[in-house]
Amino acid sequence: MNNTPNKLLKTALRYAAYLALLFVILFPLYWILTMSLKNFKDIIAYPPRFLFTPTFDNYKQILFNGGSFSDLQGIPEFLRYVINSSITTFSAVALGLVLGLPAAYVLGRENSKANDRIAGNFMSYRFAPELVVILPLYSIYKKIGFYDTFPGMILVHQLITLPLIIWIMRGFFREVPKEMEEAASMDGANHWVIFFRIMLPIVKSGIGSAMIISFVFSWNNLLFGLVMSGGATMPVTMGILQAMTFDQIKWGEMAASAVISSIPGIIIAIFAQRFLVKGLTMGAVK
Amino acid sequence: MKTPNPLHHFVDNEKFIKRLMLMPAVLVLIGIMIPFLIGVATSLTDKKLYTGNFNFIFLSNYINNFKDPVFLTSLGNTLAYVIMAILMQLPLAILAALLLDIPSRIRGFMRSVLVFPLLIPPIVSSLMWKTMMQPNSGVLNYLLSKLGIGPFPWLTSVDTALFSLVVIDTWVYLPFITIILLSGLQSLPQDILEAAQVDGASPIRTFFAIKLRWLKSSILLVLLFRVCDSLKAFELIYSTTRGGPLNASRTLNIMAYEEAFRWSSIGKAMSILFTLWILAYIASTFLMREWNKSGIE
Repeated sequence: MNNTPNKLLKTALRYAAYLALLFVILFPLYWILTMSLKNFKDIIAYPPRFLFTPTFDNYKQILFNGGSFSDLQGIPEFLRYVINSSITTFSAVALGLVLGLPAAYVLGRENSKANDRIAGNFMSYRFAPELVVILPLYSIYKKIGFYDTFPGMILVHQLITLPLIIWIMRGFFREVPKEMEEAASMDGANHWVIFFRIMLPIVKSGIGSAMIISFVFSWNNLLFGLVMSGGATMPVTMGILQAMTFDQIKWGEMAASAVISSIPGIIIAIFAQRFLVKGLTMGAVK
Repeated sequence: MKTPNPLHHFVDNEKFIKRLMLMPAVLVLIGIMIPFLIGVATSLTDKKLYTGNFNFIFLSNYINNFKDPVFLTSLGNTLAYVIMAILMQLPLAILAALLLDIPSRIRGFMRSVLVFPLLIPPIVSSLMWKTMMQPNSGVLNYLLSKLGIGPFPWLTSVDTALFSLVVIDTWVYLPFITIILLSGLQSLPQDILEAAQVDGASPIRTFFAIKLRWLKSSILLVLLFRVCDSLKAFELIYSTTRGGPLNASRTLNIMAYEEAFRWSSIGKAMSILFTLWILAYIASTFLMREWNKSGIE
């Protein structure tokens, strides 16, 4: 009898919950975005200003003038951080794929005690505190001249990209039906050929997921930059921190650099969300 | 007699190729293992970061750590951080996943928005929240004052700093947990739910008797990720409080970093890190085993 009002109430409650969730997730993002578009007076105003005249000064400052960052060699410092991050991250993902895809194929297709142990070992580095490896590595890098070099940074980032790629791709390789492989090996193809000609095309979308996820986590990382980079390879995440320690906190420039460094992640969230979810939950559901 | 069996040769060759494919990654694994082992050895010395000489002092670092009040505080903070994060995030994520599991027109949109916090750099999240959490001028206290809730000291007080960090941690990682739980829920066979409905089970009963049990595997996976990630939480803490005020948010990972780069005591730093590693190892081994078991059932 009172079924309809009851249903209505339930729907209303549900949408209220959606709204609350949206607010909690989006408000901080909205806040930093508006902060990057405010002038200094609007930023420090209390009560906080929700209405203000937007300005792109903060972005101009960090992109063209170097802003509070020191301006070396003609290129504004912040742009150099972006370039540094791009070099490190793209190369780290590429190297991770070259090393990880064949390994994930073997580990995913062939279940043996030894293989399980190897896979578990890779994953254990996902769960271990990174400093336990990179602190000793710091001393080694200093000694062999790898400190603050791109090859050094790219290798360190394998601590992120390689376990992720192996974990995700192992799941995708497992999903491929056995018959596909058997038919090919009947025709005399060896694993090398099967891997390149048959398996890789089938798990294409998985490779997409693995690339995206390892890219984001590598790009977002701060710790490796903090320990392993000096001036030459400093990543963009360090650049944000720089805005804080220079002559006091330049809130506007910090916000603008934060927004710029978030762009890859936001683009992926909007356009490649499906890939992302599939990859993240790979192996979560059996 | 001597002619090799062609079939045998074929099999051997296959094995060889597989090993070859695995080899580069395994070499990297060994490459990681070497600094790790050097690090463990370093934890038994009094080595300083910038000098070459050192003495083996065996377990002294470890023994001294457990006599050091800062270490004990950091250990306590680390464990408190993990427990608070799990207690706050798991129930909220289960609720969010149940909500997003309901068919609705805006569900797809909600799911896209949900992944935002996961994809922006943690340092951005922490600075964003740090500015919002400013006690006197921050927008968070302003919004709370509109609700009649008094100013909250957030990251600046000994009593609230660690909790405030867990709040930020929750904002960052809740989406990740929700996504895993949601995909767990969505793999639940429909006929089980329909059978429950036919039997007239209430939504609450259905949740506890069916959904929660079905989610066991996903929850274990969430615990695996979250326990280990909170144990080694670094970026959020480093970029907001650096362990302060008065060690209130100092965790083992932060303490180790400071020991190494501020006081250059790399031997001591490694002993702290190795202790942390042991904690993470125990947790991950246990949770991974449980998770594997839950998948077989």
